[in-house]
Amino acid sequence: MNRILFKMELRRNSRGLILWSAVIGVLIFFTMSFYNTVLQYQQQIAGMVQMVPAMAMKMRGFSNINDIFSILGFYTANNLIYMMLLGSIYAIVLSSNILLKEEYGKTAEYLLSRPISRGEIFTTKMTLAFLYIIILNLVATLIGFIAIMIYKKGPFNFQPFLVISLYTLMLNLLFGAVGFFVSVLMKRAKPITSFCVGLVLVLYFLYTISRISGVNGAFGYISPFKWVNIAVLSPSYGIEFSRVSAFLGMSVFLILVSGFIYRRKDILT
Amino acid sequence: MNIIEISHLSKSYGRSRGIEDLTLCVNRGDIFGFIGPNGSGKSTTIRILLNLIFPTSGSATIFGFDVVRDSKKIRSHTGYIPSDANMYDRMKVIEFLKFGAAFYGVANYDDRIRYLLDLFDLDPGRKITELSMGNKKKASIIQAMIHRPELLILDEPTSGLDPLIQSRFFHLLNEENQQGTTVFFSSHTLSEVQAFCKTVAIVKDGKIVNIEEIASLRKKQLKKVRILFPVTRTIADLGLEGIGPVESGSGKNLAFFYSGDINVLIGKLAGQHIENLSIEEPSLEEIFLHYYK
Repeated sequence: MNRILFKMELRRNSRGLILWSAVIGVLIFFTMSFYNTVLQYQQQIAGMVQMVPAMAMKMRGFSNINDIFSILGFYTANNLIYMMLLGSIYAIVLSSNILLKEEYGKTAEYLLSRPISRGEIFTTKMTLAFLYIIILNLVATLIGFIAIMIYKKGPFNFQPFLVISLYTLMLNLLFGAVGFFVSVLMKRAKPITSFCVGLVLVLYFLYTISRISGVNGAFGYISPFKWVNIAVLSPSYGIEFSRVSAFLGMSVFLILVSGFIYRRKDILT
Repeated sequence: MNIIEISHLSKSYGRSRGIEDLTLCVNRGDIFGFIGPNGSGKSTTIRILLNLIFPTSGSATIFGFDVVRDSKKIRSHTGYIPSDANMYDRMKVIEFLKFGAAFYGVANYDDRIRYLLDLFDLDPGRKITELSMGNKKKASIIQAMIHRPELLILDEPTSGLDPLIQSRFFHLLNEENQQGTTVFFSSHTLSEVQAFCKTVAIVKDGKIVNIEEIASLRKKQLKKVRILFPVTRTIADLGLEGIGPVESGSGKNLAFFYSGDINVLIGKLAGQHIENLSIEEPSLEEIFLHYYK
């Protein structure tokens, strides 16, 4: 890793991190502020929800209507989408651009004329991207936790909250690895933000479809969103070895392949 | 000792040609001109030397190190001025220069930066986005020279510079060269290669067509011949071998480029009545065009 490049990237990408953290933080806090209102109108809401098709309930991660009235159930049902979807978009956009912008911004020629190896460039940028993804997750988790502490009216189990936060972090890191992989495959330097956002949305759509239709086979697991266990209120809820292995294994694989390709890639500015 | 050694280097981009079987050596302390028109393969060669792209076949070394395997070691002692001065736009000039210098671990480079900024009359406090093309080029030149590299690789370095700054730039290059810096100078501006370089390689369609010292190239090869006859003649009447591009092939005034033995030319003309004869050294531009016809 190169310290000089790392410091420059740290500064260069800080504005984006602050903006995304602020947006996600505000959304989480704003959403949680409705929890007391939901409790207040618990009976009316329960009556209304009876009319909602079971499919839509499943889509939001509810197995039981009462799930929504626990603070953790409310948090998961309403806020998880911010970290799963927006966090993944942030991760893939950051990581897909961090190498590629040197090429389409035509600064790769300058950077690669310094005494720094491609391996160091890749490692430095990857470390920075993953660090920022972790910081975004920490900020969102902390804000979520504070919001829960402020608005909770009953007991709150911290462990499932921590586990779901770890799952979303692993999901975001996986999309970070996907971003690197896609960017090193690009032969001609051009921004791929739209493509990457589209990819996240398509995978999220597949995940939603698989949840509505109740398909649990290979189809649903094409989407890494499906790899996150969102049943936070289940008594046996915890870290599952198979899910963690899938996230970490795929992330490490994509990063290793991306680094291999980048070391041998023609940089055409 | 050779600073750069390129051996049978080729690069193809799928169907399109880059360079083909290119071989050349650049000696320590040389100022080596690398000339050819746009698309002839100059930038491809430089990009391979910098390990931006990988050769399809052949090899190249700089300071005895392989450009693919040991590119980091090579870059520690190399300065590069690209043809397009692209930089990190959000930085100020001084931030950009210090950022670049930090990679070399040079101690006390502030004095050197200040000297170069003064020489090129560049404001260190301005943002890169606010700079004109010429000022960006100045910043690009400075960043390549802060660490006093052993080898300077220049790709069209003077484009966008005004004549005064160009003259300062060449003066600085000469100073650096006298202190031992080798210069690899790629250009299609022949006058600056003619004025500045000691050796020149002419590249055409991805291949080297000639490598020669500038002085010897101008001496022994092409002559520009003008003959004024009292009567109409044609160039075929002269019966000469080695006639190159012809400016005027018939009439009283014949004008052509001649690459044969000058004694043969004089011998052929000795028995003929002529009114005037001029044999001139061609400019490098004219030599260059000769290779491209």
